[in-house]
Amino acid sequence: MQNFNRFIHAYKQAPWRTQRQRIGVFLLGILLFSMVAALYLNITAKAAIVGRQIQESETQIAENKRANANLESEIATLLAKENVEERAFSLGYQIVVPENIEYLVVPGYVASQPFQLAMPPSPKQHAPTVPPEYTQSLLDWLDQNLFTPAIVAGGSR
Amino acid sequence: MRRQYAWRSYSLAILMAMIGLLVPVQIIRIQTSQDVDDLIAQGNRYAGYYHTYYPKRGEIYDRSGHLLAGNKTVFEIGVDLRNPYIDAHTIALTLSVHLGLDYNGLFENLENPKEGEYYIVIEDFVPATVADELEALKAKLEEEAEVNNESHLGTLTGLEFKEHLQRSYPEGSLASNVIGFVTLEGRGYFGVEEKYNNLLSGEPKTVWVPSDPNRALEIPNVQDGTTLILTIDRELQASVENILDNALYTYGAENGSILVMNPGNGEILAMASTPRMNLNEFWNYEAIYDNASEFNRPISMPYEPGSTLKILTAAAALDNGTVRPDTTFIDTGVYNASGATIRNWDEKAWGEQTITGCLQHSLNVCLAWIANEMGASSFYDYMQVFGLGHPTGVDLAGEAAGRLKIPGDADWYPVDLSTNAFGQGVSATPIQIMMAASSIANEGKMVTPHVLQAMVQNNQQYNSSPQNAGSPISAETAQTLSEMLAVALENESSMALLPGYRLAGKTGTAQIPNKNGYYEYGTTNASFIGWGPVDDPQFMVYVWLEKPSSSIWGSETAAPVFALVAQDTVIALNIPPDNIRRQISAGR
Repeated sequence: MQNFNRFIHAYKQAPWRTQRQRIGVFLLGILLFSMVAALYLNITAKAAIVGRQIQESETQIAENKRANANLESEIATLLAKENVEERAFSLGYQIVVPENIEYLVVPGYVASQPFQLAMPPSPKQHAPTVPPEYTQSLLDWLDQNLFTPAIVAGGSR
Repeated sequence: MRRQYAWRSYSLAILMAMIGLLVPVQIIRIQTSQDVDDLIAQGNRYAGYYHTYYPKRGEIYDRSGHLLAGNKTVFEIGVDLRNPYIDAHTIALTLSVHLGLDYNGLFENLENPKEGEYYIVIEDFVPATVADELEALKAKLEEEAEVNNESHLGTLTGLEFKEHLQRSYPEGSLASNVIGFVTLEGRGYFGVEEKYNNLLSGEPKTVWVPSDPNRALEIPNVQDGTTLILTIDRELQASVENILDNALYTYGAENGSILVMNPGNGEILAMASTPRMNLNEFWNYEAIYDNASEFNRPISMPYEPGSTLKILTAAAALDNGTVRPDTTFIDTGVYNASGATIRNWDEKAWGEQTITGCLQHSLNVCLAWIANEMGASSFYDYMQVFGLGHPTGVDLAGEAAGRLKIPGDADWYPVDLSTNAFGQGVSATPIQIMMAASSIANEGKMVTPHVLQAMVQNNQQYNSSPQNAGSPISAETAQTLSEMLAVALENESSMALLPGYRLAGKTGTAQIPNKNGYYEYGTTNASFIGWGPVDDPQFMVYVWLEKPSSSIWGSETAAPVFALVAQDTVIALNIPPDNIRRQISAGR
């Protein structure tokens, strides 16, 4: 009660003081809001840039895949049986006949193994997971941490 | 004094507040205006686009990693009608010159597009070389227009180039009957391309692709099609095709087929058929083939195999104990079967013969007697377990089942038992005979023929394992018959023999029934089935020559072709001659 009287007294003596306090609080709120907005804008802009980079990377990956497939076909055409045979003949090679074959026992020789284009499947594989910090927006985070009630029933969280 | 001028502050504050208020008011006005649908549609036009993601079709490799079917880049050329600087005349003129299209039609389409159309596809599957030329021309014209500060009239502005992939076959016609082909629509026809179309093509996805970068992760991750590795050996395939083509010429045959398989696991190493087509020019299909069964004869075209089927009759009779290798039969040259007279191929009597002799001289009379001794029930039980009349399940599209008439069928007659015993009156494909005969070369166990060695999905390779197709005969019977057939070839000094290697096999010469069911004189199907080395069979070869004209006999046409194929096969598979192989085995 004594404080309240002092406040009334002070207001009567110099009303601009309390006005200044209110304005200060208001400006502080605006400052905080601006900081959050700037932070949000910054993060959103970064996310947009990264999103654009992802889009560009996806396009680039698709183009690279196409280019690789095309190059593989071109290489295979150059190495096609007919072309290789033609080059071999021009270099003086001949088709082998049984009379020209000599079989040798080579210790440690390993016969050609079946063609392996990729690794065999491994027994256990876990898909890599991205932590939510890298995917959720500020609003998502607020929603999760402030507005979604924590699950405590049954002792499980 | 302060109060005197306070109205200025109030006015300014009210003005600012009104301006601030106008923003949401305008927002609400736009949201509720009559043009809202148009505005939303206009916004959506730039918000993203529908796109169909076609996964890259899986490649096809041979067993050594040679690419048999891949993909090459081609272009879809179109015009973006939203571009305000389109010069319809220049675009139509340029494309009519470079792509051979009709100028008037193009010009009309560009000048008067359909309602709501904002992109026109002019031509698809344009080769990269042509598209590159057009892109260079477009860039040059636009550069010139900018340098000269001219308008975009006379340029190709608005012309769009979209890359995508098209099937390509680096080996042209090699193994075309095994691979099959893919049409422009992306669907596989024949062979592996059709059989494994779903695996190879992957699953296309049509999705809305937002332009909003914050939704970049919504772009679907479309898995590429599965890559296949076949059991086919490119070198052997080429060699076998070459032998077949030469054989048609040498023996004047109309068509032919050659199959090479590993009888131990069913891997098909080579499969040749005539005619073949360059798979890169699949549109020639109708000009080359009269019907679908001609595309891959060894699996799609059943025929009466003739004496090659005698090995199955002999296998069945040996297995159920009806005969032994040394069982004797007095061949009088004639066998009376239910009112019909069965004669030998030379219409002569061969006197006393063992079963080995019956096979060596390919005596119809003897084999008809054996089948009748077995009885219809037992004979047909064996033939069915051998798989006759049923598809083998080979992983190629278009397999035919052939026909095995059995007692109880409306068109089966008792005489069929005798004729079926030597391969007439029954139809089968070469691959069916081969699968049945694999039991003789593989200790009684029959294997399912297959061309898929492995598949690669998500960078992981899954190897296929051999499929057992049953055990129609015992290992002992298989070994006995294999030895009998090897002896028969040696005694006959067959043209199928390959120096240094002990082989087993049987010729076949079958008359061809006409449309009325009567056998035509002078035209035959010549066949040979054989395998080796006898003590450790690593390859089995089937040769079928249709209507050879230089000689009607399989022993004079198909048998020497078999020897050539066997020779190239032992080289391709690094199989040393028997004596060296035994030395190597003994040294281990």
